[in-house]
Amino acid sequence: MTIDFAFIFEAFKEISKVLPLTLFMTITPVLLGILIGVIVAFVRIQRTKFFAPLLNFYVSFFRGTPIIMHIMLVYFGVPIIVDVLAKALKLNVQSSSIPILFFVLLALTLSAGAYASEIIRSGILSVPKGQLEAAYAVGLTFSQAMRRYILPQAFSKSIPNFTNVFIGFLHATSLAFFLSVKELIGVANIVASINLKFLEAFIAVGLIYWGVSVIVEWLAHRLEKRVTAYNKGGI
Amino acid sequence: MANDFDFVLIAKVLPILLQYLPVTLEILVFSILFGMLLGIGIAIPKLLHINILRQIITIYISFIRGTPILVQLFLVFYGIPALLKIVHIDVTRMDAMYFVIITYTLSNAAAFAEIFRASILTVDRGQIEAAYSVGLNGKQAFVRIIFPQALRVAFPNIANTMISSLKDTSLAFSIGVMDMVGRGETLIASTTRALEIYLALSIVYFVIVMLLEKVLKSNERYLNRYMPKEAVSS
Repeated sequence: MTIDFAFIFEAFKEISKVLPLTLFMTITPVLLGILIGVIVAFVRIQRTKFFAPLLNFYVSFFRGTPIIMHIMLVYFGVPIIVDVLAKALKLNVQSSSIPILFFVLLALTLSAGAYASEIIRSGILSVPKGQLEAAYAVGLTFSQAMRRYILPQAFSKSIPNFTNVFIGFLHATSLAFFLSVKELIGVANIVASINLKFLEAFIAVGLIYWGVSVIVEWLAHRLEKRVTAYNKGGI
Repeated sequence: MANDFDFVLIAKVLPILLQYLPVTLEILVFSILFGMLLGIGIAIPKLLHINILRQIITIYISFIRGTPILVQLFLVFYGIPALLKIVHIDVTRMDAMYFVIITYTLSNAAAFAEIFRASILTVDRGQIEAAYSVGLNGKQAFVRIIFPQALRVAFPNIANTMISSLKDTSLAFSIGVMDMVGRGETLIASTTRALEIYLALSIVYFVIVMLLEKVLKSNERYLNRYMPKEAVSS
């Protein structure tokens, strides 16, 4: 068997048409996950009663189980909850009318929230306590100090970690294939089964993922340089 | 209601799934072991700045880091038989287990190579000069001075790679390996109770990850035993 290079190019063109869907499935969960992560990180740092232990469990459960499990648990678990709630509240909602993509996005968001919260927590804890004291000393309130001093520094220190999470979740979208979502691997499978050229199709998918990952890493590197420009040292 | 959640079923399937835990652990142990050896092997040309070889390895590491493990699984599963067919070896009937171990080895090797390289570079240059000044030769300096310090720096990252590798083994079923998840899939087919089975699988993974984390944490403390207290972040 020889590798059909022309078909790799064909498949590449065909498969890259669904790249926007994959990017959407990456960006939405990561952004929502950062939002969840900020809230979870604050609750855990402040050691709020009842909520902190609960969120500790949330973070360690989602970090301790494979992402495919989150997708499956949400896909099979949420419809049951929706149906029970709809029955109890007499709402006209049926779980079967929810698109599969929604379950994938929900699962990835919950998962991203757990990973992001750990990054934000370590980012906030890495800012010296003197920064907060200095902010208080010039008369800022807690929320002003957080928004203007602590969080910007925490985020700029966390950029490499966020890049890893972003690329990790870009790769995690490939798991939606198991729910037959037509993302990159799903389409590759279709293209491959028509022509029975699986290797070529997966080489094309590999190249697409690789290209996007390299671009994201390059952009993140440039962003990091800009954001940490204040910290270059020297005069 | 037929859709009632069945707690008893979770307890019933847990022992069945645990029988397949050795398969999952086998994938993990072999891929970590071979991955470390290969990782050391490919870290050396990068550390010694051997041209061409170094560039090839950089591209290899970038490719592994830039593609999902699922794509790598499929590439190995379809690619290795195609490659071996050129030299007239037929491996289409080979156990899928080998393909899985090869994939995870290749994937772990890239991660380990980067970890080893970075950790050796963190050891202060003065350390090797000090080693030479007390009369050690190059090999002794590496084994006695550089390596133990690099290991201390590398260990948390090695631990993270092991844990994410353990979670990645959950995808081995996609090319037909009968591991825990593979057995779970057949149980779903026979009981039609997907949620309970995935919950049972999640519990098993969660417990193993927690145990592995505990073991690795205590090892990390052991490696840090000579460090001053405040320098060790818990």
